[in-house]
Amino acid sequence: MAGVGSLFLRGLKIYPVPLFRPRVVPFVLLCLLWCFCGTAGAGEDLVRIGVLSHRGDQATLAAWRPTAEYLGNAILEKQFEIIPLDFDEVNPAVLQGAVDFILVNPGIYVNLEVKFRVSRIATLNNRRGDVPYNIFGGVLFTRRDHAEIKDLEDLRGRSLMAVDATSLGGFQMAWRELRSAGLDPYHDFARLEFGGIHDRVVMAVRDGKVDVGTVRTDILERMANAGVIDLDEFHIINPLTSPEFPFAHSTRLYPEWPFSKVSHTANDLAQQVAVALLNMPHDHPAAISGKYAGWTIPLDYQPVHELLKELSLSPYAEPGRFTLLDAIKRYRYWLLGGLVFLILMAFMTLWVMRLNRELHGAKVQLEQQHELILDSVADGIYGVDLQGNSTFVNRAAVEITGWQEEDLIGRNQHEILHHTHADGTPHAQKDCPVYLAFRDNQPRHVSDDLFWRKDGSSFSVEYTSTPIRDVSGKTLGSVVVFRDITKRKQTEDDTRQHQNELARVARLSTLGEMASGIAHELNQPLTAIATNAHASIRMLESGSQNKQVCADVMDRVASQAERAGEIIRQLRRMVQKEPLESAEVDINDLVRTVEVLIRPEIRRADVVVKLDLDPEVPRVDVQRIQIEQVILNLARNAIEAMGNTPESGRELLIRTGLRDNQVQVTVRDTGPGLNPDIMDTLFAPFVTGKREGMGLGLSISYGIIDAHGGRLSTVTPADGGAEFQFTLPLNMGT
Amino acid sequence: MEQNSPTVFIVDDDQEVRNALQLLMQSVGLAVACYAAAGEYLDAFDATLPGCLVVDIRMPGMSGMELQERLQGEAIYPPIIFITGHGDVPMAVRAVKNGAVDFIEKPFRDQTLLDSVHRAIEQDANRRGEVLRLTDIQDRFEQLTPREREVLELVVAGKRNKNISDEMGITLSTVEAHRSKVMEKMHADTLSHLMRMMLSLDRNYGKP
Repeated sequence: MAGVGSLFLRGLKIYPVPLFRPRVVPFVLLCLLWCFCGTAGAGEDLVRIGVLSHRGDQATLAAWRPTAEYLGNAILEKQFEIIPLDFDEVNPAVLQGAVDFILVNPGIYVNLEVKFRVSRIATLNNRRGDVPYNIFGGVLFTRRDHAEIKDLEDLRGRSLMAVDATSLGGFQMAWRELRSAGLDPYHDFARLEFGGIHDRVVMAVRDGKVDVGTVRTDILERMANAGVIDLDEFHIINPLTSPEFPFAHSTRLYPEWPFSKVSHTANDLAQQVAVALLNMPHDHPAAISGKYAGWTIPLDYQPVHELLKELSLSPYAEPGRFTLLDAIKRYRYWLLGGLVFLILMAFMTLWVMRLNRELHGAKVQLEQQHELILDSVADGIYGVDLQGNSTFVNRAAVEITGWQEEDLIGRNQHEILHHTHADGTPHAQKDCPVYLAFRDNQPRHVSDDLFWRKDGSSFSVEYTSTPIRDVSGKTLGSVVVFRDITKRKQTEDDTRQHQNELARVARLSTLGEMASGIAHELNQPLTAIATNAHASIRMLESGSQNKQVCADVMDRVASQAERAGEIIRQLRRMVQKEPLESAEVDINDLVRTVEVLIRPEIRRADVVVKLDLDPEVPRVDVQRIQIEQVILNLARNAIEAMGNTPESGRELLIRTGLRDNQVQVTVRDTGPGLNPDIMDTLFAPFVTGKREGMGLGLSISYGIIDAHGGRLSTVTPADGGAEFQFTLPLNMGT
Repeated sequence: MEQNSPTVFIVDDDQEVRNALQLLMQSVGLAVACYAAAGEYLDAFDATLPGCLVVDIRMPGMSGMELQERLQGEAIYPPIIFITGHGDVPMAVRAVKNGAVDFIEKPFRDQTLLDSVHRAIEQDANRRGEVLRLTDIQDRFEQLTPREREVLELVVAGKRNKNISDEMGITLSTVEAHRSKVMEKMHADTLSHLMRMMLSLDRNYGKP
């Protein structure tokens, strides 16, 4: 069943459209940026050192300019310049190549290392008194009068001030410790503020503007030394002690600030700078000015990496947050375009999907409709492919044959349904009309054949095998539509039987009417025989005649007996039940037989009979008695019609011949012709213009000729009288 | 054909039947004449020929019955025996009423037909004898003079001689002379013989 549907919708498939992903856009942007970077700050004698300015630009310049001068003295061909940078200015400066070296806190350094491939060449030694320290940490503190704040856990719900979100010692180190204690500075505090510089944080806590502050180590101590604050005013939260580190701290300790070269800075320059820095004595005026104690070889900044990783900060920020913001900011037009494109694509996809769904629905509906139509047809229908196998069957076919779908589909239909003729001989596959149909592309109609059921019984079928072609005209197989005609054949047989019976009754009735005439006809030879015989006896007894005369007389007796016998034979044939089978006959013989039977009536009615029989007329396959009956009816009607015609003009003509490839028999009289009033009902039963008879003669004759595939009709001859004629089709192949 | 030998005239459209009948008649020594149709017989009809007719009732053209009707117009014709293949009683009754000798159904026993034929021939002969006698009387009557005929009529009327002489105004002796002449000419032996002759003449031809 499904095969039919797919036949119509084969090849219709919707493929999903791939979405366009604009991966190429950021790549192009990076290329543009690289070009821009490459052209800036190359080949100059001035070396710029970017320094994170966490305590203000003036302080920064004052602190670091001596270091720049020291380097300028150490490396003669170069001029060094200090460029103070805010937290926000660091990244752009490095990106744009505005600096050649950079001095930032370890957190920013790690970022730059990852993002811009800066590399450290020395680590700062911080100065506390005369002792250099190259590590530092963060300190969390509150005012001493906040007695309730002792530990990290007590900080929940307080207000917190830090230096900057990106300040390592001023925020991030404390954040890491808070996080370990289960606190999120962004959520678990009543307020989180950034003071921007360390001093402001300290002052805010001292002034009670916030509950808690965090700054890098040694800030408190330095401010206390400067007399700005009194350390006793503060309480250190989560105080830690580390060997050889004298400053109050609440966090783990991390390496000090690194001095780094930017990626574009030449390696030999970096090497010269590194050597100069490492050679700087810890009490060099430049160091003292910068409040540090010289430089050491660069430390391991892995702890800083870990801190940033743990806090998911740049460069380890969760990619979603930063990149999405970045992307939106930087590529908003591209994004907008992409979004519009995506929306368009989504609409198109939806539209195509809807179309696909509709098509699929239509296909299913078509298939269902086909199935419904096929299954509601009372005739059996099945498809046959070029291999002779069934491709589909409908419900009626299953019901009629008893074969299930699975018995038939994919199997040779001829071997299943059509293998044997009615007489039991095998039906060769090459003769099967079902296959002939698609072999020569001509539909075949078979009006009477045999199909076999699953239970081994057979039934009569009528079927049509029609070739099916695809759009290009190529033959795909054929469709067979068949019908069980057992009942119809039975009905036809019954009808024919009935018609035969009726014809026979009519024949008997006719013969009844003819009986006296026929009796007379029989009497003639019988009389002649008896009389001749008696005469012979007398002659023999008297001895008056010779034997030769007697022999002649006996001869005549014999021929008379034959004549009587002939009449009886014709008569008996007319009354017997005729077999249903037809036989090939010479129509002229039939006319002659009838002529014998009507002879008495001809004689009585004074009619002259003319037989115009074509000796070349082909033989026809008919039921002989019935055709004789028709001729007899027509002849007797003709004789009767001439009852009132002057004796000299009574003429009955029976003619046979071939016309339009049919055998034609004409019966014509010279009577008054047909009454126009009864012309219309001439061949209807029980219509008669005669006093005797039932009026069945013409009706039955018409039925007989019709059953033989011929036609009984009447013509009005120009010169009067009536003419009936009937045709009989020639047999095929004769 | 001899005046005295009767002939059997056979009229039948069936030649075989005709031939057979002819053979049968010949086998008993009868003369036969065959005709295929009634018309043929009528054409050849000769009233003087004695014999009988054997006719098939149903024939194309003129039927046996029609032939019988036609012959009834003749002074004399052979007695008719009808043979038929149809046992048609009304037709048989009509035929016999019209003077047919017999009505025989085919097929018949030869003796039945031959008996009928002999009876018919005898009847014919009788009729022919009767007719001959009347003709004689007529001939004799024709020989009488008008006076003699007058006398004869009065004698036959039963008048006596005296009355006749008065009536005719002639003498008695003249009446007697005429009377004797009439008796002589009419070959009458007695008066009653004369009267019988005149009666039969009257019956057949009306008043002469």
